[in-house]
Amino acid sequence: MFELLRNSREVLGMNARNLDYVRPLNRRRSREFADNKLLAKRLLRKNGLPVPGLVARIRNHAELDTFDWDSLPGSFALKPNRGFGGEGILIVYGRRRGRTDAWVKANGSVVTVDDLKAHIRNILDGSYSLTNTPDIAFFEERLKLLKLFKPYAYKGIPDIRVIVFNKVPVMAMLRLPTRESDGKANLQQGAIGLGIDLATGTTTSAVVGKSFIIEYVPKTRLALSGIRIPYWNEILRIAVESQSVSGLGFLGADIAIDRDRGPVLLELNARPGLSIQIANLTGLKGRLDRVKGLKVKTTERGILLGKNLFGGEIEEEIEELSGKRVIGSVEKVKLIGKDGKEIVVNAKIDTGADSTSIDTDLACQLGFGDVLDYFETIERLVPEERAGAREMEERLRKEYVGKHDDLEDIAFIYSSNGISLRPKVRLSFIMDGIEVPSKVSVVDRSNLKYPVIIGRWNLKKFLIDVNKPTL
Amino acid sequence: MEFSPITQFIVDQNVPAQTMALLLLLPVVATLASFFRQVVGIKAFGIYTPSIITFALLAFDPNGLKYGIAIFASVIVIGMVTRYVLRRFRLLYLPRVAITLSVISFSMLGILVIGGAYHRTGLAGVSIFPLLIMITITEKFVALQLEKGTHAALLLAAETLGISLVGYALISWPSFVLFILAYPWTVLLTIPLNVLLGKWTGLRLTEYVRFLNVLRQK
Repeated sequence: MFELLRNSREVLGMNARNLDYVRPLNRRRSREFADNKLLAKRLLRKNGLPVPGLVARIRNHAELDTFDWDSLPGSFALKPNRGFGGEGILIVYGRRRGRTDAWVKANGSVVTVDDLKAHIRNILDGSYSLTNTPDIAFFEERLKLLKLFKPYAYKGIPDIRVIVFNKVPVMAMLRLPTRESDGKANLQQGAIGLGIDLATGTTTSAVVGKSFIIEYVPKTRLALSGIRIPYWNEILRIAVESQSVSGLGFLGADIAIDRDRGPVLLELNARPGLSIQIANLTGLKGRLDRVKGLKVKTTERGILLGKNLFGGEIEEEIEELSGKRVIGSVEKVKLIGKDGKEIVVNAKIDTGADSTSIDTDLACQLGFGDVLDYFETIERLVPEERAGAREMEERLRKEYVGKHDDLEDIAFIYSSNGISLRPKVRLSFIMDGIEVPSKVSVVDRSNLKYPVIIGRWNLKKFLIDVNKPTL
Repeated sequence: MEFSPITQFIVDQNVPAQTMALLLLLPVVATLASFFRQVVGIKAFGIYTPSIITFALLAFDPNGLKYGIAIFASVIVIGMVTRYVLRRFRLLYLPRVAITLSVISFSMLGILVIGGAYHRTGLAGVSIFPLLIMITITEKFVALQLEKGTHAALLLAAETLGISLVGYALISWPSFVLFILAYPWTVLLTIPLNVLLGKWTGLRLTEYVRFLNVLRQK
């Protein structure tokens, strides 16, 4: 009970959305921009953002009477200019076989020119507009479904809602059209909403209806979590830039992915819905509060902030499940040498190597100069081939290990440069908060990019995600 | 309880006490509707409809509840059926609402006639205005049905009736009305109260239910 009350400060309610965000941040001029789809389309295109192509528009009854119906393509979306909540949108997928004046809808029903005329009259009379004022109807090119989404989406096109505040993407949701929503990607009408991890663009939790949590596509065993959305960075970029163009301080950008064109900006929302919080199982207010007051200069900076602040939940989940830390292919490590000497360097994670090795100079700085000098004095035997190496290694080990305090071991290391004899020293390093005691071999890496590589033997407590951005 | 000097003064100017009471009760009912929206989270059809229906219910007294609810329900049901029948004709919005209103008017007339035939004249005896008010909520209902679907419209209609019933309970409570007449200035308190409601940014009660899954997270 206590927890509920405390968490309620993290959740954005209707009152706070309207009073604290929509009203002060989305001025009338910007709101007009969000409500007027044709105006928005023109301005966004002018600013280099991808929008669905405009086929034709009908501004009044006179234009309707003289409209050339043959000019329409086989598939298109008919929309009211000032519609809201996805109302009044009619989508056809192709011409009826053998006819030029009839089209087919997703559910197989036929749409004739007369049907279109009646629908457009309704639009012109304002039946679907926000304030029931006369409206404009327009035809738009129909977007094509991405193969990846095919098993998940019922008939329509899924879209991605990104909430942008202060140039930072704060929360995102993938909306899948369902049978209940009649192929529309609208949560109110029964679409599925999937929470998205902002750092990676991977879906997390799912909600259908008002607040019903689900894990699979209804009536299948197709998991809804873990869908990796393609073009993720591009999607975030479009969302953030559309905020700069529109001037909407608190924006819900709807972006769909076209099979041929990639991400396309569908719509801007000045009053984004609150269900996105249920899909993400996270409150929006807490996130907005964290972004408030930050001075974000560039789109890139905003995206990076959003990813770092509000991403990585999946990682944490995996870490929790496996008890292992998720690291990238390059990680910062803190090396702890002799007498507690500490040096922080970038290390390359190398699953092709057995052991960890560090650069000679670095080893000297960590206090191993003495042992390296000693190592220089021993025999430099290198076997011709692997067969004799083991015996030779054993012999050298017996002879020299223990002669110097810091010399833990001697080993032949097989690398792309051939076989080399290297000394090993005892050293601990801290990577992603975990201390790993290890024996590392020392070799000259001065002409290589990273002074340290971490090998398999020291990676037992980690999982490697090659997509993880390097810091 | 005594009338306050203000009330006495107003009544002395030939303003009926009944009229004065109703005018003073309107802010109270309106505040009730705004409280239900902002704090409880019950939307209803805005503020006008629940307020006006509250007074319509009062006008149906002494059988306010019985007749009021029956008429409200029949208007909604007839409105829904008419819309269903009219759907296939593909009519434009206003003509369609006009037809719906006509059908409801005829039905009301029918109900009055049937009531009269069974010597239940209580309904026919009331003023026509509350009846007209009830009929005109059809437009709100049809518009919402078009916008948000039948299910949502029915829910909002039920919420509207709910708020109206609470309002009715309040303003048909004699002690409350007498209190207002005794201390008419207390009605002014609705203004600061609404300022508070207008600045209220907390979660609505219904949102605690809606976001329960989010609130339960660690």
